[in-house]
Formats: sequence, C-alpha cells, structure tokens
Amino acid sequence: MVAELFPKLVTLLSFTVLGAAFLLIVRRDLAGQVRLFAVQSLTLAVLAAVIAAFTRSIELAGVAAALALLKVVVIPRVLTRAVAKIGLQPAALPYLGTPATLVVCGGLVTIAFYVMAPVAASNPLPTAEAIPIAFAGVLIGFFVMINRRRALTQILGFLMLENSIFLLALLATYGVPFIVEMGVFLDVLVAVLIMEVFIYRIKENFDSIEVDRLGRLKG
Amino acid sequence: MMLVALLLMPLIASALIMLVRPRVWLEIIHALAALSGLAVGLMVAARVWRGDVPVAVGGLLRVDGLSALMVVVITLLGAIAALYGLGYIRVEYDDSHLPRVRGFFALFHLFIFTMLLAVTTDNLGIMWVAIEGTTLATAFLVNLHNTPRSLEAAYKYLILSSVGIALAFIGTVLFYYAGVSRAGEIAVNWTSLRAAASTLNPQVVRLAFAFILVGYGTKAGLAPMHTWLPDAHSEAPAPISALMSGVLLNVGLYALMRFKVVVDIAVGAHFTGPWLLGIGLLSLTVAAVFLVVPRNYKRMLAYSSVEHIGVICMGLGFGGYWGVLGALLHVVNHALSKSLLFILSGNILLKYQTTDILRVRGLWRASPLTAGAFTAGTLALLGVPPFGLFMSEFLIFRAGVESGPVWVVILGVALLAVVFAGMLGSVNRMLYGTPPEKVEHGDVLSWSLAPLVVNFALLLVLGLTFPDAVADALDQALRVLGVSRA
Repeated sequence: MVAELFPKLVTLLSFTVLGAAFLLIVRRDLAGQVRLFAVQSLTLAVLAAVIAAFTRSIELAGVAAALALLKVVVIPRVLTRAVAKIGLQPAALPYLGTPATLVVCGGLVTIAFYVMAPVAASNPLPTAEAIPIAFAGVLIGFFVMINRRRALTQILGFLMLENSIFLLALLATYGVPFIVEMGVFLDVLVAVLIMEVFIYRIKENFDSIEVDRLGRLKG
Repeated sequence: MMLVALLLMPLIASALIMLVRPRVWLEIIHALAALSGLAVGLMVAARVWRGDVPVAVGGLLRVDGLSALMVVVITLLGAIAALYGLGYIRVEYDDSHLPRVRGFFALFHLFIFTMLLAVTTDNLGIMWVAIEGTTLATAFLVNLHNTPRSLEAAYKYLILSSVGIALAFIGTVLFYYAGVSRAGEIAVNWTSLRAAASTLNPQVVRLAFAFILVGYGTKAGLAPMHTWLPDAHSEAPAPISALMSGVLLNVGLYALMRFKVVVDIAVGAHFTGPWLLGIGLLSLTVAAVFLVVPRNYKRMLAYSSVEHIGVICMGLGFGGYWGVLGALLHVVNHALSKSLLFILSGNILLKYQTTDILRVRGLWRASPLTAGAFTAGTLALLGVPPFGLFMSEFLIFRAGVESGPVWVVILGVALLAVVFAGMLGSVNRMLYGTPPEKVEHGDVLSWSLAPLVVNFALLLVLGLTFPDAVADALDQALRVLGVSRA
C-alpha cells in the first residue's frame, strides 16, 4: 500500500513545485512572488520529509528541516524586507507577454522530458518518474531570469532554479550527502544576502531596479 | 596536519582582520598570512612530489599531483598579489576608508581559502560549494570602488556565474547518481567515482559532462559563457584582477579536468576531445575578434585570458602526452604572465586614472619601470621566446599536428597571430608619445613591484630549460589525468 502510494505522492508534490514556478511567471507583484517562493520551498521540504520517512533516513530529515528553516522562513523574510525597503515600483513589463511566456514554458517542459529521458529510464528508484519535472523547473527558472527585468525577480528565478536542482537531486539519488547539502545551503544564503546588498546599491546608483539600466560595459 | 593548516590559515587571517583595529596590524596579518600560506603550500606540494598523497579529515581533503600543482599556483600568485595589494590599497584608500580596507583584506583571504578548498577536496560536492564560494567572496571585491560601472560588473558576474555553476551542480548530481546506481553506496568522492568509472552508464555520463562543461566552463571563462569576464576582471582592483584572471579561471578548468578523467574512462577520450577543441577554438576566435582593436587595456588583458584558457582547452582536446603536458605548462605560464600584467595595469591606472588605451600616452617617459616590465610581460604573454608561453604553445600545437585535425592547428596559429598584432599595436601606442601634463614623472609604486621578479624568473626558467623538478611535478599531475609518457 505504502509502496504503491509513495511514487504517486512524490509525483504530485513535484508537480506542485513546478506549478509554483509557472505561477511565478504570471504573478506581477513582488510580495506575491516572494510568497509563491515560500510555498514552493515548503512543498519541497514536505517532499523531502516524505522521502526521509519512506527511506528512514535521519540525514534527509535533517536536510528537510534545514531547508524549511532557510527557504520558508529566513530567505522570504530577507526578500520581504528588500521589497519593503525598495517600496512600490511601477511594475515593469517582461520582454514576453503572458501567453507567449506560457507557450515557451510548455516547450521547455517538453525539452526537459526529452533531455532527461535516459536518466529517468535507467533509474531504478520509485521516484524516477518525476525527474523530468524537476529539470523542467530548472529550465523555467532560467527563463524567468532572462525574461524579467527587475533584479528582485531575477533573484527569485535563481532561487526557484536552485529549488528545482534540489528536487532533481532528491528524485534521482534521494539527495546528495548531508555535508554537501549544508554547504550548498550556506552558499545560497550568502548569495541571497549579497544580492540583497547589490539591489540596494543598484537602487541608489540607478534609481531603479530594472537591470536594463545596466548597460554601460560593452566591447 | 599540514593540509589542515593550509586551509585554516587564510580563514583565521580573514577572521583576525575583521577583529583588529589599527591599520598597521591589518597589513601585518595580511602579509604574514600570504607568505606563510606560500610556505605551507610549498611544503604540502613537496610532500606530494616525494610520492606521498596526503589525506585529512576522514578523506574529505586529498592532495595528489594535480592538486599540488594548483596549490603552488594559488599560494605563489596569492602571495605576490598580496604584497602588491599592500601598496596598491595604501595609495587608493587613506585611513578614512578603513572599513573598505578591512573588507578588501578579509575578502582577499576568504577568496584564497575558497580556491584552496576547491583544489584540495576529494569530495566533488564540496568542490562545487567552494567554487561557488569563490564567486561570493569576489563579488564585493569587484564592486570595491562602488561606482555604477563596477556595480554593473559585479551584479552581472554574480548572477551569470551562479547560474552557470548551478548547471555544474546538475552535472555533479548526475555523476553521483551514475556512481550510486552502479557501485552502490559511494560518497561523491572523485577517487571512488574514478574507481567505478568503467561501469558507469555511458548515456548518463555524456549528459552529465555536457552540464559540467557549460557549468565549470562559465567559471573558466570559456566562450560563449565568457560575457561576465571582461567586465568583472577589468573593474576589480588590480591585485584581485591578477588573481581572478591568473588563478581563478584555472580553478574552473581544474574542475573540468577532474571530470574529464572520469568521462574518458567511462566513454573514451574520443568524446570529450572534440568538445574541448571546439569550445577552445571558439574562445580563441571570440578573443581574437576583440583584440584586433582593444580600447581599454584592462579589458584587453581580460580578453587575452579568454584566449589563453581557450588555448589550454585545445591542448586538453588534442590530448596525448604532449597535448596535456602543454596544457598544464600553459596553465602555469599564463598564470605567471597574466597576474604580472594585471598587477602592472594597477600601476598604470593609479598613474593615469583611466583604463582608456588612447588616453595613456608616453608610459616610457612617465613611469619607466612599469613600462619596461609591461612590455616584457606583454611579449611573454604573446608567446615570444625566451619566455615559457612560447614553449607551452609550441607543445600544444605540436600535439595538434600529431593527432589532428590539422586545420584546427592552422586556424589556431592564425588567430594567435591576429592577437599578436592587435595587442602589440595597442601596447606600443601606450608606450610612446608625450604623457599628459598633469601626470608626474616616476613610478607610482616601485618596491611593490619587486615580487614580480619571481614571475619573470620562472617564465624564463620555463622558457629556456626544463628542470627535472618541474618535469617530475608535471609528470605526477599528468598521471592523475590518466596520461603517461609513451
């Protein structure tokens, strides 16, 4: 019973993670985008906890707890603080409108299934079915970073990409070893803090957080 | 024990620099940490060259021939850049900017620490964490002057490198997966992955290598993922540019080489060879196009790094004993000459307050010492004998003639000729003419340039002779890479 239900639950949760990435594309307000990221991270933490329970891995349970603390509590707080400090900005339009974006993302999902086919097919784990979904999340994170002009949304795209990579590792190998995962979390936290400082500096220097204004270095 | 000390020293130095107050103490700790780092680095390397493979912290740290070579490059050039940095920062910031001075010194040693960790760990996951750490440690250093230009460069650098390297993590996960599914429970260790290499699923390995190539290729500054490099390397303060261009790019390449070893066993060298050749030739082409008429001398040096990393990649792509030997030798030669030139570019920038080639006039008359060294360094960089780069480029293209395809060799040499003409012309323009009136006569920093004697001496040694000690050290690194003298 449990063995039957487990892969289905994993696939469902993986789709929820991908769904959050899709919603981020459509969402325009920054506060909503930050909340979406927190929801995605929470889903991911639950998924890690489910796999930890299924495999009886204490290490993975620890990773799930650390993930929840870092990406559901700490990083959203940092980002909310940044949003509050920057204040309301007139929303910049992305390069592509919503319908075109959704078409592109549909294409990216197809590509993800194609690229990850050999990995998913050769993997004996019950979670393997969802591997292409995780990779689709990576590609969509990329696309968000390219398509959005606001620095803060780019950072959210980066964080979603990071989440999808975590998901990929979780599905393909039940997560990388504990010490590596902790190192990655540390990197992500420091990266977000540095990006936050850069956002403030960009706001000071350019009076805007649209990365279009950054275009002086050429040749 | 020595290995742990090697890593702890820069970390402790960084912490102490944050704690102590007076500027003179900051400088003393900074210099001491850099010099003792060099001493310990050489001692660790000497142990490896005597045939030992030091392992520490339960197998987390492991130094073989390839790591030892990188440790020497990092600590040697780290010490040289640190000594110049002492003088450079003194001219740039007086005591009213103490927080910035402190930040510079602290991040400098953090940067050294992350590079050393990346090349001494056996765990490929930790290696990734450390290489991402190099980006984080240098992001603020690129933006040290906090001008709009440097801010743009730092933001681009942080975002592009982080995204690029995220791909390398996917590659690492896929390798880990390939290892776990065949060899059972393994750590993400390079040694266990290489031991299991012949049993890995070739399809997964090929896919994983594609991610690794793009991911670590971004860090190494290979085209077309090089776009952040000219900005970051030209906006960073000179001692940091020297380390980023001369050393950090090689750390990215080092990661690539580690994975190449595993892929070559798993699917054969015929797979990675053409990819490395192609990406190397593309980097060389992109750099040559810019270097026809460069306008900014720091960007010129940065693009020249793209060029040389491309040449190294071609050496790895041609393969065979001579190709890989040439590549490793070129890693060392390029590190020596490029850090030298970036340090000198700091002197030119302090003097003229501009990076515009057209506005630097009469360097010979304004600062003769800098001008002489800059000219000699440029000639070395362009592969003129008797300097080492001539030898390593010769070895690489000789390997190319042997293994083919020959048109790649011809194209490569032609592109090098284009770079030669472009860069020499630009440097020539800076040397002659009358200096602007506001520029005083004399070198800005002269004693701080003293360590560069080491660079020149080593470049000459590697160009004129091939001492047994160097040959042995390189042979050990080559064995790690799976090639031995035929």
